Amino acid sequence: LRTPTRQTKRVKVLDSIIEEMKKAKITPAPKTPKAPKTPKVSKTPKVPKTPTNSSASFRKKLMEGTITPSMQIRNVPVLNAATPLNMARTKLHVSYVPKALPCREKEFDDIISFVEGKLLDGCGGCIYISGVPGTGKTATVTEVIKNLQSKADDCEIPEFDYVSINGMRLSEPRQSYVEILKQLDGQIVVWEQAQKMLDNRFTKKQGKKKQKPVVLLVDELDILCTKRQDVVYNLLDWPTKATAQLIVLTIANTMDLPERLLMGRVTSRLGLTRLTFQAYTHKQLQEIVTKRLTGTNAFNPDAIQLAARKVASVSGDARRALDICRRAAEIAEADNNAELVSMGHVNEALNSMITQPKVRAIKVSSRLEQLILQSVVAEVERTGVDETTFADVYTMFLSVAGIDGFRKVSITIALAAVARLGACRLLLTEQKSVDLNQKLILNVSSDDIYYALRKD
Amino acid sequence: PKKLFESETIYQSARKALHSTVPVQMPGRENEHKQLRDFIKCHLMNKTSGTLYVSGPPGTGKTASLSTILQQPDIITEFKEVYVNCTAIKSSGSIYLRIIQELGIKSSSRTEKDSVAAIENYLSTNHKMILLVLDEIDQLESKKQSVLYTIFEWPSRKNSKIILIGIANALDLTDRILPRLQARCELKPQLMHFAPYSKQQIVEIFTDRLRSAGVLDLFVPVAVQMLAGKVAAISGDVRKALDIGRRVIEIAEKHKKEESDKKVDLKHVMGVLNSVYGTSNNLNEDNDDSFPLQQKIIVCTLLLILKKARNKDITVGKLHEVYKKVCGVRNLSGVDQAEFVGLCSLIETKGIIRVSGKKEPRLHKINLEWDEEEVAAALKDKQLMATILQDSSVLGKM
Repeated sequence: LRTPTRQTKRVKVLDSIIEEMKKAKITPAPKTPKAPKTPKVSKTPKVPKTPTNSSASFRKKLMEGTITPSMQIRNVPVLNAATPLNMARTKLHVSYVPKALPCREKEFDDIISFVEGKLLDGCGGCIYISGVPGTGKTATVTEVIKNLQSKADDCEIPEFDYVSINGMRLSEPRQSYVEILKQLDGQIVVWEQAQKMLDNRFTKKQGKKKQKPVVLLVDELDILCTKRQDVVYNLLDWPTKATAQLIVLTIANTMDLPERLLMGRVTSRLGLTRLTFQAYTHKQLQEIVTKRLTGTNAFNPDAIQLAARKVASVSGDARRALDICRRAAEIAEADNNAELVSMGHVNEALNSMITQPKVRAIKVSSRLEQLILQSVVAEVERTGVDETTFADVYTMFLSVAGIDGFRKVSITIALAAVARLGACRLLLTEQKSVDLNQKLILNVSSDDIYYALRKD
Repeated sequence: PKKLFESETIYQSARKALHSTVPVQMPGRENEHKQLRDFIKCHLMNKTSGTLYVSGPPGTGKTASLSTILQQPDIITEFKEVYVNCTAIKSSGSIYLRIIQELGIKSSSRTEKDSVAAIENYLSTNHKMILLVLDEIDQLESKKQSVLYTIFEWPSRKNSKIILIGIANALDLTDRILPRLQARCELKPQLMHFAPYSKQQIVEIFTDRLRSAGVLDLFVPVAVQMLAGKVAAISGDVRKALDIGRRVIEIAEKHKKEESDKKVDLKHVMGVLNSVYGTSNNLNEDNDDSFPLQQKIIVCTLLLILKKARNKDITVGKLHEVYKKVCGVRNLSGVDQAEFVGLCSLIETKGIIRVSGKKEPRLHKINLEWDEEEVAAALKDKQLMATILQDSSVLGKM
């Protein structure tokens, strides 16, 4: 009997609450007085464009190619003091492009006659240029293009468009289509669309207007090789179409890249026109440095010869030779009373560039670490196998330490020392298991360890 | 002032004639041409579907023969022609969208499944004969080959009138990756192989092209014979033959100022052939000392280890140790390990050695790719090599 009454009561209470709520809703709640406005109103005049809007339109403009990205400019250009050493330094910088490239005349002639012939014939073609780094491949090709452009201006050869892509500058091989289209037409689209547009341009017959021939330079070709090799295939297939007049110059380091990496059908399209840039000999390196330094007499000729011979015996890389000479000039500059870069300076530069940091690292490591290195060597000699485990090294370490009168250290401390040696790459350690079964391999030759530890 | 374009030299017109684009006529491929044409004509007459798989090594004229046939008016008009180069599509699944576009089917399909359904729907309705040519069809390989199976099953669908032609390099592509097609006779594609060009055919191609340009007498017949024989013996790839032909003309043009004789003769051809097919001898033809000394010593050390040591698997670390000793004997300062790894990769670019391995540079394996005579010819330093190879004491316990 009681429960229903309660329920009805409850219902009544609820109803009244709802009523009240309805009333409250209808009547507007009294507004809380607003806080006095903070001086948020900017005193500085606002930038005309709001940031979100501007970035969208900015991007659109950038994609269409109507605006070009610019860089901040210094207010005052950097003055370079005109001491002979300073001048020599600027001229020896790798980025300084000399007027003519010495020692590459034959290659220059080969490439220019190839491209010129293709332009005059009105057909496409490919050439593959290879050579170790720093032998002047890209420099020669860009020089050829510059030469051809000036010839085209004089109407000696037909006008052409020049496009250059670099495999290393692309996030993905297929981005090369985007880059090529950007340089041809100035617009940025996604790669599928770019490929379709290029495909149309190169394979379909153009009706009225005749397209200009295109010279395409592909640097670092080996980066563009994927498993499917579709990018390389397309780049090399377009020149074989009669409608496209595309001349492709490909550059890579490996001499036998086509045979080693590319598919048969890609190699067949690449053709047999190949050119190899040999490493510079010491005479050529000497000539390169001397040609750059004409007008300044800051270098002793013998000093140049020393640098050239050293570099030619190792790699024949011109960048290396220039770097060493520049470093030598810096050393000479630091040496106050030196007017001339001498053999001594070059030698110092060579020593600082071709150093043996590992021997020094062994010399300055702690006594415990040295003992561990010694015991690893001893263990390798005992077993005759390169790979050792930490447990064996530790037992060997105990006896080596005993002979030396060094106090026995615990395994934990020894492990910590091994980890330090692993971190500075004197030892190769396993990262997975840090315990007694950890495998250790020496990362320096045992002779280096003997040499470093015997001296003192 | 466009003065020089009118007067074409004889060399230039010859070079143009040998340009390796799709030609109008294809001498040496008459049989295949006829076979292809018969296949298409036969299916056209009977209004039936058919599948053809064309295979052959690169440069044997597969695509060229087909495209010459496709240009003939009696075939163009009868067919709705779809030519897709499968390297130009994004992935194997997107081929359907491409076909839809080419056929002009109106569909709002987004997914792959929808596109297949749209195409199959189109095939079941009454339509014009379709000639679907898929070039480089091996690019369509997918995990279960579902794309290839779907496409190859279209001709056997009811009411479909489609002629499917697949082109690829592998002779046994359909047997290897599409074995299930063998189970049903109507699905089995007809096979057609383009054999590499023989010597006689290459000679024919050359004479034909040169004659049509009117410069047949530029080449001495023996020179053409020589070139064709060599190319046919090695690959039978006509792109290579034409390439060499153009190179020969270029070289002859360069030399013509010195010589009064304007013809391309055997000497020029031999020169180009040797530089192309001679192996390592062309590595450094003119200057002797372009191979840096340290690299020479590394290669010689490798040879020494391979010849004298018991343990033949060589890592960078081991080679470096022996190399240091060799340098010590010869009173040279050797490079350290970091530099040494760089030098190894420089030698690798010449193709003499192969460095393999992933993690630690010291543990990379080194394999010699050339034999001793080739290395000796490339180094051109018999004395150094002999003295290093004699000295087996540096090997130590190896």
